[in-house]
Amino acid sequence: MTARAPETGVRKKRTWPWRRKPRSSKPEEIVPPEGVPVRFTVAGLGVRTAAQIIDILLTLVFVAAFMAILALGFEAPGSLLVSLGALFWLGIRAPYYIITELLWNGETLGKRMMKIRVVSADGRSLTPHGVIVRNLMKEAEVFAPGITLLVLQDMSGFWQIVVLLWIASAMAVPLLNRRRQRLGDLMGGTYVVHLPEAVLLPDLAASPAPTAERHVFQPHQLNHYGAFELQTLEAFLHNADTPPTEPVASIRQRETRAAIVDNIRKKIDYPDAVPPHEHDAFLRAFYVAQRAHLEQRQLFGERRIDKHHAAGADRQVAEDGP
Amino acid sequence: MSETHEATTAGVRSARFRAEREAGWKVLEQLVEQVEKHGIRSLGFRQASDLATHYRQAANSLSVAREISLDRSLLAYLEALTARAYLAVYAPPENLGGLGRRFLTVGAPAAVRSSAGWILLGFLAMALGGVTGYALFFENVAWFDVIVGQASDDIRGPSATREELLSIIYSEDVNVIDQLGAFASFLFSNNVRVAIFAFALGAFLCLPTFLLVFYNGMMLGAFMALHVDRGIGLDLFGWLSIHGVTELSAICLSAGAGFRLGGAILFPGRRTRRDALYEESRDAVKVALVAALMLVAAALLEGFGRQLITSLEARVIIGWSVGALWIVWFASGRRRR
Repeated sequence: MTARAPETGVRKKRTWPWRRKPRSSKPEEIVPPEGVPVRFTVAGLGVRTAAQIIDILLTLVFVAAFMAILALGFEAPGSLLVSLGALFWLGIRAPYYIITELLWNGETLGKRMMKIRVVSADGRSLTPHGVIVRNLMKEAEVFAPGITLLVLQDMSGFWQIVVLLWIASAMAVPLLNRRRQRLGDLMGGTYVVHLPEAVLLPDLAASPAPTAERHVFQPHQLNHYGAFELQTLEAFLHNADTPPTEPVASIRQRETRAAIVDNIRKKIDYPDAVPPHEHDAFLRAFYVAQRAHLEQRQLFGERRIDKHHAAGADRQVAEDGP
Repeated sequence: MSETHEATTAGVRSARFRAEREAGWKVLEQLVEQVEKHGIRSLGFRQASDLATHYRQAANSLSVAREISLDRSLLAYLEALTARAYLAVYAPPENLGGLGRRFLTVGAPAAVRSSAGWILLGFLAMALGGVTGYALFFENVAWFDVIVGQASDDIRGPSATREELLSIIYSEDVNVIDQLGAFASFLFSNNVRVAIFAFALGAFLCLPTFLLVFYNGMMLGAFMALHVDRGIGLDLFGWLSIHGVTELSAICLSAGAGFRLGGAILFPGRRTRRDALYEESRDAVKVALVAALMLVAAALLEGFGRQLITSLEARVIIGWSVGALWIVWFASGRRRR
């Protein structure tokens, strides 16, 4: 309309890394030759730290066993014991991670327990190079700062600042990139993902509700909700498949169900009353009908994200209009 | 009743879609589980070809389901199944046979040769430090305490006499436990830590590596100056030679590897910094592994050799011929393709 409009349109707004919208919720995509993108969820720092702690504890168990053998079997003196123990830990640390990740294709014991896995950034096999690099750099990024942190109070002020800067920069690297790669991951071309768990729940639409012929919904009654509401209902129904054992929880679940039924009936103008013993059957029948309807719409090119889809369509018309 | 059943299921297209393909997914699930547990080699011919077929079908199902289905549990299942199957098919563990041999004969020497410039920089930093330490000691003896620091149990200081220094250089103990202790304490001594840090901190823009190696060189220079001052410079040279040639070279090698990493970040050229770091790290890590190997050799030489071999000539000859052996190793080895 005015001369200023194109200028603001072209100018790229600067966004700082920490101001950007969190993109970690968006999964990483790899496009295999089949052309169907495969998605992985990048493992966050929390779960990786947990796996790391488990691994450290496991290796320390070995060190303790080694020291116990030395102390009992050879009656080694205390100072030698400590230095040999520390040496042993240094000696098995990097090899433990490298060997387990090579043999189990990107999993250490800790990672197995946390169900995460190292994968190659290019989507192919993990290379020995990548595994060795990321675990050698672990010395500089995790162990050395951690051990230095333990003796931090014995240092002078200047060195304390240096060490804290070092730790901060080592921590900043994974926080500043999308795949949460630390320096070793960047160098080795690897990153850590959640190993997806494939659990197939029964299809709620496969078996018709016993009251399907009584609970019939008209097309105009199915125009209110979108995919989000449908999938929320799906989650609720899947949960209801395993009824809670506690009486309090089961009462609460019944109340929730009654509230949902009330809301749906009000929203879609469903004329007949639904007695409490038919609540579950009603919801299932509604789910099947609503899903069939929405999927039908989707086939015709109309994706309804949520219940505001109608408002969105109106706005679209208003914007496109004269 | 059966008619209504037909009607409802027929109404939900995605439910029919799922019912038709579910058996195939289940087969794939089992195959993938077997691959994850026992490796892809545990599959027979039929199973392997089934894996490929069912994987493609599952990928196809996923592609269709993303378009037509609103069943979230089905979508989540297919996403997870396809991702796992993808990893099983396209990212199996690499064959590790011959890895060690390839590293020793081809990879390591070639990596050292290609990093020669950076390694030279490491030697240069240490030499510079050595000269500085040496000069500072003769300017004012008080610098010694500043540079080396005062370890309480070490008698080697500006106040030590010639005889005390000599007694350390030519001490003999043959107790095995002591030697083991010496071996251990070596690996924990300053120098190994310096080597590890010199490599790992290189990625933090080179400067920490340079300072570390320079400082280490300064300590060495001051030490040398102390002994030269007492007229036993040659004896110290022999004492240092037997393991020092290997050990100090290892430090310079790992510093060179560190410089190479830092250099990739500072001067990536036309590449992005991420790509530069990824590419340069391939050789840098090999050099660091070589340095680790050298440090273990140096530990053996120091822990056992230094106390057993006390003649000056033998120490110098062994030390420098081991050094020559390293050079021969680096110079040998086929060129990489």
